[in-house]
Amino acid sequence: MNAMLRTSLLGWAAALVAVSATCQDQVAIKGGKILTLTGPAIDDGVVLMTNGRITKIAKTADVEIPWSAKVIDATGKVVMPTWVVAHSQGGQRGFNENMQNVPWLTVADAVDPAAIYFEDCLRNGVGTIHVMPGNQTLLGGFGMVVRPFGRTVEDMAVAANTGIKLSLFAQGGGRLQQIRKLRRALADVREYLIDFDRRKAEFDKEKAAGAIAADKTWTEEIDRTKKGAVDLVQKKVKGWLYVPSFAEVDEALRLAQDLDLQIVLGNNIDEAIAMLVKLAKPVVLDENLEYFELDEETQKEKKLCSAKLLADAGVPFALTLGMTGPTSYAWWQLGTCVRNGVGRQQALEALTIVPAKLLGLDDQIGTLAEGKLGNVQILTGDPLLATSWVETVLLEGDVVYERAKDPRLQYLFGDEKDKAKKAGGPDKTTDAPKPEAPKTEAPKAETPKPSGETPPGGGNGGNGGNREVR
Amino acid sequence: MLRSLLLSSVVSALASLALAQDQVTVFKNARILPGGQVPIENGVLVIAGGKVMGIGSADLAIPDGATVVDCAGKTITPGLVDASFRASNSNDFNENGDEVTPHLRVLDSLDPDDRSFARARASGVTTVHVMPGTRSVIGGLGCVVKTFAKSPQAMVLKEDASLRIVMGAEPSAGNRAIRGGSVDSIYYRRPTTRMGVVWEVRKAFFDAKESMQMTAGVPPTPPNPGMQVLTRVLKGQLTAVTTARSEQDLRTALRLATEFGYKTILEEAQDAHMVLDELAAAKTTVLLGAPSATTIAGSASQDGADPRSATVRLLADRGIPFVITTGSNLASLDLVREAMFAARNGLSAVRALDAVTIEPAKLLGLDQRIGSLAPGKDADFVVWSTDPLDPAALAESVHIDGISVLASR
Repeated sequence: MNAMLRTSLLGWAAALVAVSATCQDQVAIKGGKILTLTGPAIDDGVVLMTNGRITKIAKTADVEIPWSAKVIDATGKVVMPTWVVAHSQGGQRGFNENMQNVPWLTVADAVDPAAIYFEDCLRNGVGTIHVMPGNQTLLGGFGMVVRPFGRTVEDMAVAANTGIKLSLFAQGGGRLQQIRKLRRALADVREYLIDFDRRKAEFDKEKAAGAIAADKTWTEEIDRTKKGAVDLVQKKVKGWLYVPSFAEVDEALRLAQDLDLQIVLGNNIDEAIAMLVKLAKPVVLDENLEYFELDEETQKEKKLCSAKLLADAGVPFALTLGMTGPTSYAWWQLGTCVRNGVGRQQALEALTIVPAKLLGLDDQIGTLAEGKLGNVQILTGDPLLATSWVETVLLEGDVVYERAKDPRLQYLFGDEKDKAKKAGGPDKTTDAPKPEAPKTEAPKAETPKPSGETPPGGGNGGNGGNREVR
Repeated sequence: MLRSLLLSSVVSALASLALAQDQVTVFKNARILPGGQVPIENGVLVIAGGKVMGIGSADLAIPDGATVVDCAGKTITPGLVDASFRASNSNDFNENGDEVTPHLRVLDSLDPDDRSFARARASGVTTVHVMPGTRSVIGGLGCVVKTFAKSPQAMVLKEDASLRIVMGAEPSAGNRAIRGGSVDSIYYRRPTTRMGVVWEVRKAFFDAKESMQMTAGVPPTPPNPGMQVLTRVLKGQLTAVTTARSEQDLRTALRLATEFGYKTILEEAQDAHMVLDELAAAKTTVLLGAPSATTIAGSASQDGADPRSATVRLLADRGIPFVITTGSNLASLDLVREAMFAARNGLSAVRALDAVTIEPAKLLGLDQRIGSLAPGKDADFVVWSTDPLDPAALAESVHIDGISVLASR
């Protein structure tokens, strides 16, 4: 009976596979201006996605959209890859563990899928976030890459155990104390490893000498609380080192000689640019790109921009986005770069291609290209303008955000207190058409899956059932 | 000898400065947003002697011998006017001697070398309205100053531009007895509640009314400086600016003004979207503080306001006069970025720019001199690298009374 049931289930499964193979899940974004970020913009183009991956990007005139594909009209809009945030503390319930040396922790246990941060990510067109423990740590545990959509951490996960957090952020004892503590912690791990190897060698020696029974084997494993740090010193995992200012860059470079390190910079870095050039590796930038420096002689202030300093020095960098406030908007960050003299394309790449590469996901995300994941945002205008709004976000070909259905924007832009309007009075707007006013109803044809597109925290928290769970 | 040499060099420096001012300078090929008027594409701006001589389109005659600055691709706007500006030494603006100090002048606390003026200049702000701090109920007189002038005296446009009244939790925040004494202790700084704050305002204006009635026809003896200021407010000779954030405080501010018959401007007003009818009926102006911020920074968070992105547009739709300021919110951005956020949140670009130029100038009663570019007005203007409401816009040069004030660029 059991066997029969299993066979029949297997049969069903096979049938399902067959069905999904013939009836493909296709979405086409049509008519928009496509910024692939690798080549020139395509005016009036189509991005066709099949089973979550991009299968075609071309001029509308050159593509035959399959009759079964769901079509999203993006006429007059801008279509581009979603942003990639290389380092963030967002979306966690508590990201600074009080204990400093905790390499066994993982942010997977802190990520809160219902956090407003992830909602905001979708609102701002972010499709991939590398969540890391906070900066107030020493060896702070493992990070993970998530997408801002899903009901559980597993559902959100894109890549787990992406590296271990290290920080030179001075706490209590000051900068030198922190440097000393980090060196001590790493030395402890190396000493443990040497001791472990020595004991194992002695065991083997004694066994060879017959002092230990021949049927006995070495069973001791690396201490689980030390495993992450051991992997770090053995360069099996990447370390993400937070370097708060220029003063710690020297130590960071020293640490980088023995570890596979990704440097995450604070913003006061102008005096360490030459050292960062020597590092010859891309760095991740703090969300605050501009800072003032006071000349102690003249008492005159100077405004500096970390992105501009690095761009001038030829050091590649990834931008990050803040959790709230203006720095959480990509247009603000990119605009800040451009007004300080960073090239537009370099700024755009610093929030897409460069972070994707740092996360080892450049074959999946970061640009719009055939074969890559269908992580696409549709904007009302140019991504560097304050007046542009993210209209729609697709992750792996599924619509996960629509501005017209965004309850929080409806709240912030709602005018329920305006009684004249409530009474159905004429909408006498003296200004330009309200770009922010969410439409009350989206055309049905543009809604690919009526059941699964509510953003997290909104409505029933629906979760596209057809998505592959990794 | 040395002294006379120095003196002569100073004189010659001054002379050259005067010469520089008399010299005619022409900024051409720029997109000019003159403030309160339609934009001029490919416009020409002529300045001399620290004033605007002429403004117009490409066919405007350029005087002979003028220095010509090519501004192709740039945008010129009037210098921005911040109608509620927080100077960086603002902790010196809160007098603890009394809760009601209408006669104190913030000008006496203002440092002309304050760092915040340099920051303001660099971001295109040429005139600011500074008020006493928010920790007193009636803090004193606000002033209007330019962010640069050849001498500190010359910075001042108005010594007593306004009287600041503060509602809500801030004037009472942190008021405790010294070393934890009891509530009855004479060392207990008052007020400690909202009702206490309102009472201080009510008592002050009640006393001022009394003194007005008593001295009707008779010269006031002895003159009480605070009463004199309050009397000017009651007579409509001085503008009251009431800082109120939450819906409750905004209503209270309007109620007090009605009760004593004075006119008040409402400042900060994060909850303005909740009292639109009342604002329209009171015909009051709103100094909207930091419209970019969705949270209220600082101790004012106790006021429990609920800022909404819709507020600027709702005020515009209802025809309620308003001005965009950076205000006392610690999260506020440069004034031009606040205008940019207002544009993002639904205000037209022209209205957003007017709300930081000509509108605040009108409100401060200085629109004959500043706030827009027109012949005879002060040559306060900014050359932006691109449209000022673009996040990539940079104030490439800032001119106050015709003098370029950004040294490093």
